[in-house]
Formats: sequence, structure tokens, C-alpha cells
Amino acid sequence: MAEKFIIKFSKSGYAKYTSHLDLLRFFKRAFRKSGVALKYSQGFNPHPKLGFAQPLSLGYSSSCELLEFETADNLNAEDICEAITKEMPEGLEIQWCREATGLDKPLASVCESAEYQVTIPFSADTEFLNHVKNGYLEQESITALKRRKRDKKMVETDIKAKIRRFEVRALGENTVLDVELDSGSVSNCSPELVISSFCSYAGIDTPRYDMEVERMSLKFYNNLQF
Amino acid sequence: MELQKKLDRILKRVEKPGRYIGGEVNSAKKDLISVKERMAFAFPDLYEIGMSYLGMQILYNAVNKEEVMYCERVFAPSPDMEKLMKEENLPLFTLETKTPLKEMNMVGFTLQYEMSYSTVLNMLSLSEIPLMSSDRGEEYPVIAAGGPCAFNPEPMADFIDLFLIGDGENLLPDVLKLHMKCREKGLSKKEFLEKASEMEGVYVPCFYEIQYNDDGTIKKLCKQNSKAPDVVIRNILPEIETADFPVKPVIPVVEAVHDRAVVETFRGCTRGCRFCQAGMIYRPVRERSTDNILNIAKAQIESTGNDELSLLSLSTSDYSHFRDLALELMDYCKKANVSLSLPSLRIDKFAFEVLDKIQEYKKSGLTYAPEAGTQRLRDVINKGVTDEDIYTSVEQAISLGWRHIKLYFMIGLPTETTEDLDGIAEIAKNIIEINKKYNGPKGGKFRLTVSVSNFVPKADTPFQWERQNTPEEFMEKHRYLESKLKIKGVTFNYHDSFTSVCEAVFARGDRRCGRALLAAHEKGCRLDGWTEHFYPDRWQNAFEESGINPDFYAFRERTEDEILPWQHIECGVSKAFLLAEREKAYSEKTTRDCRYGCAGCGINKRVKCMTEGIYG
Ligand code: SF4
Repeated sequence: MAEKFIIKFSKSGYAKYTSHLDLLRFFKRAFRKSGVALKYSQGFNPHPKLGFAQPLSLGYSSSCELLEFETADNLNAEDICEAITKEMPEGLEIQWCREATGLDKPLASVCESAEYQVTIPFSADTEFLNHVKNGYLEQESITALKRRKRDKKMVETDIKAKIRRFEVRALGENTVLDVELDSGSVSNCSPELVISSFCSYAGIDTPRYDMEVERMSLKFYNNLQF
Repeated sequence: MELQKKLDRILKRVEKPGRYIGGEVNSAKKDLISVKERMAFAFPDLYEIGMSYLGMQILYNAVNKEEVMYCERVFAPSPDMEKLMKEENLPLFTLETKTPLKEMNMVGFTLQYEMSYSTVLNMLSLSEIPLMSSDRGEEYPVIAAGGPCAFNPEPMADFIDLFLIGDGENLLPDVLKLHMKCREKGLSKKEFLEKASEMEGVYVPCFYEIQYNDDGTIKKLCKQNSKAPDVVIRNILPEIETADFPVKPVIPVVEAVHDRAVVETFRGCTRGCRFCQAGMIYRPVRERSTDNILNIAKAQIESTGNDELSLLSLSTSDYSHFRDLALELMDYCKKANVSLSLPSLRIDKFAFEVLDKIQEYKKSGLTYAPEAGTQRLRDVINKGVTDEDIYTSVEQAISLGWRHIKLYFMIGLPTETTEDLDGIAEIAKNIIEINKKYNGPKGGKFRLTVSVSNFVPKADTPFQWERQNTPEEFMEKHRYLESKLKIKGVTFNYHDSFTSVCEAVFARGDRRCGRALLAAHEKGCRLDGWTEHFYPDRWQNAFEESGINPDFYAFRERTEDEILPWQHIECGVSKAFLLAEREKAYSEKTTRDCRYGCAGCGINKRVKCMTEGIYG
């Protein structure tokens, strides 16, 4: 019995086109519907206490989404899991619900990195892929164009230090990237920057919209695992 | 390329892709093998708009409860989506099963406002379905349309195979059943349409031909098919208490304009405002019982997880047991932690008791619609509101802490003079003064919004013969009001005049106006209800090229014996009544709410008026 929980769920199929905010709205509603009363924040504009560990870009699928929330009453994780599973539409699937009593900080603040798999419909042989991979990683700096928040201008940024792992392999007619990138409040790197800089380095001209990105896992400080 | 892949490459590039994915909670999933009749309910506007429309949820539910029929939904794609769909050769598809519209047995459009007509054409063309019904062979779905605009269906007559006039919850499933049977028997589309035209509320435009006089008015209506009725009679549900109401509405995935549980409390209106089409075409008033409303509300909240509940009708507080209903709903909502919203509330003492308890309201502001600036003009339009009503309610609102009041007016009404415009400014001034009494000479944070819309004469109203103001007249009035309303604390809003002209053309247009729609469509017009997608020059050119003179339709007063384009579509309110009301308007006489006694509109010849004289 607890009042703080984490739900792990996956997002696939058309559900990957549900935006962060719409998904948040969806979960709030699903909780209401399933009778799991959330705890509300104090103050002028009370809002229920729930949030995602890391936002997921529109169009990405994921097998590792984490939603943490606080309930108004002392509840049992299994009961919540059962109730909320019933509310899931196609494409959203609850994997588990666990108590999060020991966590004193929000997941978002202890998230360190994320693993992604990028599938590019570009057929290449292993030799070529190894070659471009090494060249890409051996660059002194890996620059990518990024939209600056302040003035919306495109500026160059060096992402080399933020790439924790970078593998390339051929899979049938596709090229697959397996990457681990900084993801959190301290340091963050969007997979889009890796995709664009790598493709331009390797001369892969497959349009971005033909590629699929899936988030495979989230990693946290202090070896927290979910 | 398989559909999902094609869609994937498109959806990654559009704004709000969630509009096109379907799969919402409570959306209908069916085994296509046991389904015998498939229909796409098409809303000619964006997802967020269409999903806020209760009528779609009602009909969706009415069709889908029949096992062998499947109603899916489709909305207008936004221009970015449209562009990519064309590039990728992806025809318009339903949200539920992503099936192209042209593979449906029927496609049904709802016509809520005239400015959506071009979007209907665009949706057909994105579906690769020929626009003209005469160009569509047996292989194409039956194209149907309904909704309030279907009461003058003529401008859309060349594009639509069959119109549904009136209440749809029985009629639509019946028409689909008939279509299913006809197809099973191997009957042709024409044979189906013949049979359908015998049903109450079905209008098949191709069975009628219109002849015109030299002056452009209608000479006569010639029936081309003996099976078709001389006059199409509106389908009326005698009561709505037993009518099915969706307790599991589809929940939008992308935030809709209104994202809340809604219960229709009654259909129709007894007030008789003379400009109001809804007040005529939905007669008589048919109420749901308080218990039924409460049950539906609870069931909806439980099945949707909504945290807001709203009531739907033409005038919330006219519900006969409004007091009991409001108190019970407030009680329930408080317990269930749901916020209650009561739109178009008549602002009286009880309303304040209620509103004061529903905190939300003070944030959104109080709305009030006197519609006209002087008592004289309000009598002309039969809007039963007095100056005293306005000032007492406003004063009460201000004293209770409201900081934002919104007033709605209409300009260009019959008999309007400068005095009536001055009256609008006068009311604004007086309200600002009232506020100073409570919030000091500087007025505090108080805001008054004055919104002015342009009067568009509508079919089936006592004003259906009137001329509309020209854009020049409207603009002159806007300028005049703008200068008069330069008052500290007052914000003045008004609508685009040319849009109102287009509305007026199609609201009372005849069959020839379809040519202008076609031309406008060819010039790329669609989503004209959105200022950012409305191109006046395209419309102007479309009118010119198609030889449709907007002046003839918008600015011309009709004589009372002129054959009106919608004369063969009967809403149930008699022409004699409309004429008498027009007469009374000109002599500035009001007609009382028929809950105090029948005003003789004629609808009781068709059905019983359950609220007739209940206060009398
Ligand atoms: S017939 Fe009489 S009571 Fe019935 S709606 Fe008309 S005016 Fe009202």
C-alpha cells in the first residue's frame, strides 16, 4: 500500500502520434475513469500530481515510458494496474505498476540517458557502415544544427560529448542505429541531432519521415532501474 | 505501398497528427465480416471542431448500436495534411478503419454552417469521388447530407444524392437499412433513391427540376419522378425522452474545443426570436425528464472520466424544471468533483444563486445577448429583454465580483436606424458607469466586451424575405460603433462583412448557387470558416465566373408571393405564421413565449406541443 507509484507503458502504432500534452490529458482522464483518485497540488490552481519521466517526441514509439503519480488514498499497485489497464486504447500498453515510495525526487530530475533505435530504410553493407561509423565518431567535434530556444534561430552545436554509445548495423534492407544519449535536466541530446548529423556525414539521403525511432530504455542516476 | 507506411510518412510531417489516427476511447470497433452497411459520417471542418459537436456523437451511436451497420468518422484535413495526401496519392479515409471514403456504402455530411460547403466539396474531391451527383455511377457511395443548413438544401442540391431533413436518430439508421436491403436485392441507386424519397424527411434533389423567370426568380418546381413527394416533410421525433442518447461518447485524442460530457436537456425553443432559424426549425420543444438527464450525465462522467459537464439546448434556463435540475446537478458535480457549465443561461436571480456557486464562471466572464441596442428594435426581433433586465443583471454580476462581461449584438436587422446603434453604445456606457459605483472611478480591472455580428437572413424565419445590409453598410456601421465605443474598459469586436455576404447567398440561395461553390472549390476554397483560410478574392472571382450575382441573393428583398428555393421543404412552421410575425415585427409588436399560450406557428398540426401554455 502506498500513495506514490510508477507505471511503465509502451507506445506503438498510431498512438505514437499522440502528443505529450494529449497523453497527459489522456492519463488524467483514465485515472478518473478507473476510480483511482490522484492527489492534487496545493495552491491557487491545483493540478493532479502526475508526470512523465522524460517527454517523448511526437512520432516516436517507445517500449519504456514511465509515468509517476501520487494518489489521494493508500492503494495497492496491482489494483491500480488492473484498473488502468482496462482504460488503454490500441497502441498504449501498461507493462507494470509499482510503488515508488522510496523515491524522493521526481524521475525527470534523476534521468540520465536514453537508448534509442533508429530504423532507416537504406540498404548498405556492413563494411560501409563500419567505415562511416568510425569516421563519424572520430571527428573532433560532431556538429549538428539545432533550433535555439531564445530566438528560434538554427545554430551549430557540438553533441560529441552527449553521445554515450553509437552502433550501426545492417538489418535486411534497413540500416539500424542503436544509440544512447544524454537525456535529462543536466545534459540532453535529441536523437534528431544524431540522425541528421550522421546521415549527412554518411551521405544517407533517406527522408527523415521514412525513418522510425523507438525509445528502448531510460537510465537513471544511482543505478535506479525500471 | 501499404497504407500504414504511407500514412506514417505523412503523419510525421503534419501538425497535430493525432487528428488523423482514430482509435479513441469509446470509438466503434466492428468485425467487418458481419457488417453489411458502412457509412462515413463526415464533418466538414477540423477534428477539434467536429469532435465537439454533439449531433455527431448522437448519430454515431444511433447507427453503431445496430450490429450490421458501421458508422465511422472523417473530418476535414488541415491544409498541411491535405497537401501531403495529394503528394502521396492518399485518398481521404475514415478514422476507424482507415478505409477510403469511396469504398463506403454511404457518406453523410453534416451541414452546420454555410461556410462549410466548400469543405464538403473539397472532402469529396480528396476522396476521388465526383462532385456532381449526376457524374457518380453505381460504384460510388450514396452522398447524403443533413443538419440545420439542409432546410435550404438547394445550393448543395447538385452535389448531394439525398438530404435528411429534421431529426436524424431514427431517420439515418432507417435510410441505411433501406440502402442495405436495396443493395442486397441488387437494386440500382436510382431505385434506392426512389424508395428513400417516400420516407418522411428525405429529399432527393435530382427528382425535381427548377424553372426560372427572366428576372431570375423561381418560376416553378417541376417534379421529375412520380414517386417523389410534392413537399418534403421534416422528420420529427414526437419526444426525445425515449430517444437513445450516447452515454459513451468518443473521447477526442487531440484536445477538442469542447472536451466535456454533454447532455441535451431539450430540443426546440418557444421564445420565437424572429431572426433565429434554430428557434423555428427545431419546434416544438421536447424535453428530457430530469431523472433521465441526471442518469445520462452520471453515466457519461463514469464512462469518459470527464471533469466537466455541460448542458445542451437552445436556452438552458427555459427547461421547465430548471431549478430542480440545476440544484441536483450542482450537488452531483460537487460530490463527483466535476465542474458544471451552464451555457446560454438566462441571467435572473436564480442564475446568480447558481453561478455564484460555480466559481469557474467568474474567470470566463458573464455573457449576455440583448441582440439589439434599443427596446424598439428588441421588440421588432421579439427578443424579450428589457433595459431594466440588462442593467439589473449586470449590476448584480458586478456586485458579486464579476470582472468581465461580454455583450452580443446583431447589426443590420430590419428597421434598424442610427438610434439603435447609439443604443448599443449607450448600454456599454451605462455598464461602465455601474461598474464605477462598485469598483471606484477608475473602474478597477473591469472589462466589457461588445461583440457585434452581422445579421444574415435565414430560411424558415419571419425575416426570410428581408434584404441583408451590403458590406459597405456593415462597414459604415462598424466604423460608427467603433468611434462610439472608444470608452475606457470597452473592447469592441465585429465580424468580417464579406463572409456574412457569402453566408447570406448560400443561406437563401437557389440551385444555381452550386455553380459558385464549384468555382470556389476549383480556386482552392475550403475551411472558409477560418479567417486564416478564407480568401475573399477567390470567392469574388468564383461568383463572377459562375455568373452568380451575390447582390441578387443577399441584398434583395423578396416579395411575399415569390417562390422561395426552400418552399418544397417543410419544417412544420407555417408560412402564414412567418408572415404574421413579419407583420408584427414591422409594427413593433412582440409575441409571447408560447409556454404562456400557443402563438399558432402550426407545428401542433404535426405533433403535440408538450410545453404549450404550461405557464398560461
Ligand atoms: S404550435 Fe403553438 S405551442 Fe406549439 S410551438 Fe407553435 S406556437 Fe408554440
